[in-house]
Amino acid sequence: MVKQTRREALVVAASAVVVGLAAGASARASGDDDGVLIPAGPFLFGSEPSEAAAAARRYGFHRSWTEPETPRRTIDLPAFAIDRYPVTNADFHAFCRATGYAPRGHWQGPTPQPGTERRPVVMVSRIDAQAYAAWAGKRLPTEEEWEKAARGRDGRTYPWGSRFLPDRCCWNRDRAGAFVETLRVDAFPKGASPYGVMDMAGNVAEWTSSSPGPGSGILKGGCWMTQSPLNLRIAARGMSGFDNNQSLFIGFRCVREVK
Amino acid sequence: MPSIRVTGMPGSMGLTLDQVAAFPGASFGASIPEAIGNSAAPYWFGSIKPTWGVGAAGELTSSGEQPGELDYTAHFASTEETVDIRIRVTNRSRTPWAQSLAFNCFSPIGVPDVRDHECLRHWVGVRGKPTLLRSLPRRFGPRPAIQLYPIEGGPGWRDIPFVRNFACSPDDVALEPWMAVVAPDGQRLVAAASKPGLFLFQNREYSCIHCGPSFGALQPGETGWGLTRLYLVKQPLADWYARMKREMADIQAAP
Repeated sequence: MVKQTRREALVVAASAVVVGLAAGASARASGDDDGVLIPAGPFLFGSEPSEAAAAARRYGFHRSWTEPETPRRTIDLPAFAIDRYPVTNADFHAFCRATGYAPRGHWQGPTPQPGTERRPVVMVSRIDAQAYAAWAGKRLPTEEEWEKAARGRDGRTYPWGSRFLPDRCCWNRDRAGAFVETLRVDAFPKGASPYGVMDMAGNVAEWTSSSPGPGSGILKGGCWMTQSPLNLRIAARGMSGFDNNQSLFIGFRCVREVK
Repeated sequence: MPSIRVTGMPGSMGLTLDQVAAFPGASFGASIPEAIGNSAAPYWFGSIKPTWGVGAAGELTSSGEQPGELDYTAHFASTEETVDIRIRVTNRSRTPWAQSLAFNCFSPIGVPDVRDHECLRHWVGVRGKPTLLRSLPRRFGPRPAIQLYPIEGGPGWRDIPFVRNFACSPDDVALEPWMAVVAPDGQRLVAAASKPGLFLFQNREYSCIHCGPSFGALQPGETGWGLTRLYLVKQPLADWYARMKREMADIQAAP
């Protein structure tokens, strides 16, 4: 499924919405916090080729499937603040109420299903995510910012360390292929990153502002549907897709500048 | 058991497949063709509004045209385990097509047992042997979720303009003209096979598989036929593979 023409038209239309919302943006915070401060300084981004190849081999993939995350390099970033949790249904509902932005199609009319308020919002394109971020006075993280927030400075494989621990995030651990679903964004406190950022592995894959090509966005973090720990690693980026793709496994969080 | 029900979406190349014995209650999506025509400049989903109808044998049909460029008719014939899609396309342009094709999308995204965004249970054929797709090289292009492969014995990916334009085909990999997704129980699968097959396509974003049939080189006014067979079966991979090879050897693209 590609649908180039229709998607490209939608990107143009939705981009106009983003610009309009940004022009009237208030300096609102998203979520229930003002974000976690990620201090300025260098960190290890990506994977060493040998490390990426070993991970692919361990989970039964050809080494080329992890090549895009190589090589590892040291990147120096200025300080920024990132949302502690992915944007929730409640957050996005507030945005829709304030701006008239369209509710998500799977909600009960204009509101999220009762009991899902603290779950991450899904069925949001990158255009939707950018519109929300502009309204909140924020923006989407770059891939580099997302990785630093998830792994700290030491280049660890998962937010909690270098070994996969199956009870630290929301993923499809039974590998049955059956639908499971998102969980509350605060369901796995032991899955926190070194900076205390939550849900950086599993639950929802997250849009970044980085693009592998025109009309596409890099997704990070794996999701509730992920069955292989390979794709829950911080450096993984294989699911990245079209800007205007709305999916049951894609959400986002925002960042803001720190002066 | 009843045949698989195929329902076209009015004004669209999209369709649904349900009443599938191997997947009770499931509904599969498809766009057939999602693109069609000259390999160097096909017409895409949305640019042609097909008309759904009924063919001479009572089969579902979908006919579309781009005046001065092409017209086509797709015939859908189903059993309880398969859907055969025979597509006739005619070059109505003044330009010879060195190569022509259909881009036929088959998506199990709505069926949890065969929804497989990570390609954990995607299978392809390499020189007579079913092989896990994830054990083969992948080349990432500007759309990392997708991958295209040429067919064994056919033109290489650089010689198929449609495939070359995506810039995401690994070198030195050619596959048999089919792709399957096996359910976790190992007893059921879905697959797309084409004859003659020109390329394979896989999209992690939508968990869809494509096996693109070739219509060959078509001069202005000339007509070609291609066949895609969808399998939705309760059968282990090895048994299905032997069956599929046998059936595809016997079947003809043109009616």
